[in-house]
Amino acid sequence: MNAARDLPRLGAAIAIGVLAFLPMARLPAFYDSFLYMVFFWVSLSTSWALLSGFAGYFSLGHAAFFGTGLYATAVLTTKFGWPFLPTLPVAAAIPALLAVGIGAIVFRLRRLRGELFALLTLAVTFVIATIILNTPIDGGGGIFMSAVPLPAITATPNGTIYVLGFVLCVATLAIAWWVAHSRLGMGLFAIHDDEDVAEAKGVPTLRYKLIAFALSAAVAGAVGGVHAMYVGFITVSGTFELTVPLYVILMSVLGGSRSWFGPAIGATVITALLYAFISGGEAMVGRAIVSVILISAILWLPDGAVPAARKWLAKHRRASAKQHVAEVAPVVPSVPPVADTVLLQARGVTKRFGGLQALGGVDLDVREGEILGLVGPNGSGKTTLINVISGFYPLTSGSVTVAGVEVGNLPAHEIARRGVARTYQIPRPFVNMTVLENVVLAATFGSLSRPAAEIRDEARHWIAFTGLSGKEDVLPAGLNLHERKFLELARALAAKPRLLLLDEVLSGLNPAEVDNAIRLVRAIRAQGATIVFVEHLMRAVVELSDRVAVLNEGKLFALGKPREVMRDPRVVSIYLGKAYAA
Amino acid sequence: MVDRRGAWRRRGVLAAMVGGTATLAASSILRAAPSGKPVRVGGTLSLTGFLAQTAAIHKIASEIMVEEINGRNGFLGRPVEYVLLDDQSKPEVARSLYEKLITVDKVDLIQGPYATAPILAAMGVAQRYGKVMVQSSMGIPKLQTYDRAFPATPFGPEPNVTYPNVILDAMAKFPTPPKSMVILTSKFPSAQFMALGMKEQAGKRGVKVPLYLEYESGTRDFGAIAARVKEANADFLWVGSLGLESNLLLEALRKLDYTPKNSFHLYPAPGPLALSPDGDKALCSTFLEPDEPFMSRPGMKRIAQEFKEKATKANLPYTTIDAQACGMVAEWQILEAGVNGAGSLDDEKIAAWLKKSKVETIYGSTRFDGPYNHGDAAQLIKQVQDKKWKVVWPPEFAAPGVKLIAS
Amino acid sequence: MPSATLLGQALISGVLAGGLYGLLAMGLSLSWGLLRLVNLSHFALAFLSAYIVYELGTTYHVEPWWSAAMVVPLMFLIGAGQHWLFDRFKVNELASLLITFSFAVIVEVAIQLYWTADFRRYETEYATRSIKAGPFYIPVMELVLCIVAGLIAWGTWLWLRRTYVGKALRAAAEDAEIAAAYGVDHKKLAYLLSGIGAAYAGIAGTFIALIATLAPAQIWAYLGVVFAVVIIGRLGNPLGALAAGMLIGASESIAMAVLSPAWAPVVSFSVLIVILLWDPDWL
Repeated sequence: MNAARDLPRLGAAIAIGVLAFLPMARLPAFYDSFLYMVFFWVSLSTSWALLSGFAGYFSLGHAAFFGTGLYATAVLTTKFGWPFLPTLPVAAAIPALLAVGIGAIVFRLRRLRGELFALLTLAVTFVIATIILNTPIDGGGGIFMSAVPLPAITATPNGTIYVLGFVLCVATLAIAWWVAHSRLGMGLFAIHDDEDVAEAKGVPTLRYKLIAFALSAAVAGAVGGVHAMYVGFITVSGTFELTVPLYVILMSVLGGSRSWFGPAIGATVITALLYAFISGGEAMVGRAIVSVILISAILWLPDGAVPAARKWLAKHRRASAKQHVAEVAPVVPSVPPVADTVLLQARGVTKRFGGLQALGGVDLDVREGEILGLVGPNGSGKTTLINVISGFYPLTSGSVTVAGVEVGNLPAHEIARRGVARTYQIPRPFVNMTVLENVVLAATFGSLSRPAAEIRDEARHWIAFTGLSGKEDVLPAGLNLHERKFLELARALAAKPRLLLLDEVLSGLNPAEVDNAIRLVRAIRAQGATIVFVEHLMRAVVELSDRVAVLNEGKLFALGKPREVMRDPRVVSIYLGKAYAA
Repeated sequence: MVDRRGAWRRRGVLAAMVGGTATLAASSILRAAPSGKPVRVGGTLSLTGFLAQTAAIHKIASEIMVEEINGRNGFLGRPVEYVLLDDQSKPEVARSLYEKLITVDKVDLIQGPYATAPILAAMGVAQRYGKVMVQSSMGIPKLQTYDRAFPATPFGPEPNVTYPNVILDAMAKFPTPPKSMVILTSKFPSAQFMALGMKEQAGKRGVKVPLYLEYESGTRDFGAIAARVKEANADFLWVGSLGLESNLLLEALRKLDYTPKNSFHLYPAPGPLALSPDGDKALCSTFLEPDEPFMSRPGMKRIAQEFKEKATKANLPYTTIDAQACGMVAEWQILEAGVNGAGSLDDEKIAAWLKKSKVETIYGSTRFDGPYNHGDAAQLIKQVQDKKWKVVWPPEFAAPGVKLIAS
Repeated sequence: MPSATLLGQALISGVLAGGLYGLLAMGLSLSWGLLRLVNLSHFALAFLSAYIVYELGTTYHVEPWWSAAMVVPLMFLIGAGQHWLFDRFKVNELASLLITFSFAVIVEVAIQLYWTADFRRYETEYATRSIKAGPFYIPVMELVLCIVAGLIAWGTWLWLRRTYVGKALRAAAEDAEIAAAYGVDHKKLAYLLSGIGAAYAGIAGTFIALIATLAPAQIWAYLGVVFAVVIIGRLGNPLGALAAGMLIGASESIAMAVLSPAWAPVVSFSVLIVILLWDPDWL
């Protein structure tokens, strides 16, 4: 029996059992209500965190979904005579559709991240609230729910609402747990850290964000539907005030918004505190005391309760048993024959940014199994070409074909799945994930689909291959530049790419590290990858490349064997003034 | 023969002695302070949050009334204890707190909270436990569907029909009766409800409504609305306002150099409006002001005086008693009458007694046998004169020498 | 169709009302943009300043300008003091939200304990004066507010763009480590900026005392609109905040003049949404 894993599960099972049958204990109704409020806030804050905590898309519009669900139930029951329970799926579905609608437009626009997304969701809330206020949905008079019969799930109305709230709470936590431990969650966490890199690693970012947003909205809507019965008299101002979005943020921050359980802890603590000082004499001072407690808590636990708890547990846990060491693939120094098939074909690739033309019609063939060096002065378009091939930028015109498939206008994650991987000149690891998690993600979303255990082994293999063994559980902040560059490589390799695009992988390394890297690149090619690498360090270019392509001012200037190209006077002339020590 | 007369005399003396002792004993029982286990009355008020401004007034009124009641006979000879909780201006909190009061604290009786939404939330709870609930601030009587809920404020069952006609009656007596009316209202349920009623009744009595505007209850900037009101330039301005909205509107109008010909405000905060330089001659709804003929009502003078003292001590800027506070006073008077009249703390008996009785409150004689347990409507009109509120209509409720000043 | 006078008046009224939104937004914008700290307590500090100005004015008959001269430096100190806390505990962006919100609640409670929840109005005879310009009326106090806000915004913007200190702050906001390598003392500058943001709240509060009626719950009345103003105006851009405030104020006001006033938020926020989707760069 694994104590660390099974005890929490046992505890959770017991808690669920006790809470599920609590109404039968016929406790005073107040406790049912209080616990319902706890379930309410747990559900709302956990659902908020699905998109905003996991993926970092800070939403100020949770009230919009909550309120839509609440009014859906209110209108269907009072104006259309529906029985209460069937309204709940509708109360969940309408906000989900709303979220998908908003997301389908907004998530495609790269500039609408961060604060702008927060603003947009806030604006949506105001718009929905005003529409409801001014149309017959509410119209200003409020909706009185007293005549709506509550199904008799338990003996008392309080017990019934308690059960509904409890079921929703458990469901929400289950959804959050499932998301956090699934590919979806992995992708969302990656999006949080660096969305563009996640996309380049094969994470279908648009789809995942939509799913998270829709789930988040659906839960909020269902919670709203139940809450309509609890409150009894519904008004627009009471439903759409800033309390809901603000409180869910505070609760998630207090508990730790990146964990599936964090918001639940924050919600429970804050709700309990809100009820701690209800007596008339202490009401005002009580609020101040609650605020002081919250300030102290967050100062002490700056990332939230759950991360702090994890850190504490990690320190106190015994060093885990020696992990089984993955086999290190033997490095085969021989050069396999370069095949004659063309893996990458670029024809007339043009890229314009507004009035600036970065690429002016590049024609290039990359043969399978070769190492192609890509050189040129600063500003010649090397990184742009890499960005276009990997899908970070869409083509302005021309075509790019990989293994016979036109990839020119596919989203980056589709290109990644077709076997194209890239590294970044300035390493961009996922900062909140360990080395192992970084590589596992790349392996998960890479070109092949494999079972989880195999992926972990594969990841360890590549970590060892790039010389990072022993650092699996280190966060990128704890690595030096050399190690981070090799992490980039490990990530790229874990995706088992057919085409590997390396962007200045050697810059910033000392000579010994450069030699190491060169050996590694050769070993990578020996595994069967085709490599295009951008480099300024001429020694490496000459040593490694089968062929060299020279770009100048966005066009292909020269192409051929390394020594020939580098001695070509025309090539030398475009480098005038930029002498490199070889 | 002497014996028989002596015997009668002896019996007479004995009777006199017994009678005298009994009388003395009885009066001492009546004059004794309430004693024994306190009767706990639970309730919530919005002591924090956006409704806190009025809750402070209700709290003071409650304190005064509990002292008064305990100065008399308490409830059935037992002292009254008010268990007050803060519902933070949130209906869901109000609901859970009433459940706490009833099921955990096990109070004997409950008292209603402030404002329509918390009242309705509390009413649901009261209904489930069969508790009598007296409330004084719900402006939409038809929502009071619970049989044992009792209104302390005499709105009448259809204030949206009766009160506009009171206003229209007053208007008809102006030197130049207004022929047109601009109606503005906040989209707050109780205000909007009355505004729609005003519009309908005005139409029925031939007063034109060239402009009917609804604004959100959080509106901060009344500049554009004021410009529209000025442009319409009707004979009468009716505003379904709450809190500060009237002040904001009148200030905005003054910035445009426009004084409305006659203006009526529904539920504004009375203190700020009376003291505002723009508030002169403004009309407003009320049920009572600390003036004749109300001051002669039993206990009124003393209550008004104590309110002033307590409000000053609590550092409130406006210390004159007003209709909000009186609503709370009436709530306690009704509960006291109900308990003592039914002779029991049993909610069913109290409710039954109230339904068939009349209770003398500061609002006059109140009955509860109409629709939604509402009796006669007794909504009046007051006006700011010399920075004080004076009841001006119907004329029989105006203090001697006070008249409605129309422009 | 409403008359031209009505529309013009509504426009004036809205732009001037937006000046207050912009002034309230300025401190928050600077703090969020340059210090990566979302300081919600500025709302509470503004109202605290307003209450102090009210108290000094009504009880001690101090002219608001003198009160401001005392209150604004006090706010500066409070702002700098807050930053000491943030720095000492290495508070990140999300945590700052929770801390400043709690701080605002504490200030609100303090206000309610001392001044009660009842409404208070600082009556001055110049508060509702207007200047007449053709058929239009321009309220004096709001106009002064906008002028002051404009001067502050422009001055701050110049300071950030042109002076060494300003550029250093912006550099530190982008990358503190590298800026430090160039000798930029991020810490001292951060204290300065935090204090300035709070001082702006103090100035806003002085005007609020003169223009509005005070109640503790009013602290939260501006939260939504000012958040929108801060983001539209771009974080860290004081002129942007002012312009955005006026834009929102104007659009709301014109909507109220043309439609039923209750529809106004739909119009202004729909316009906002459309602008965001179409291209926010020109904002």
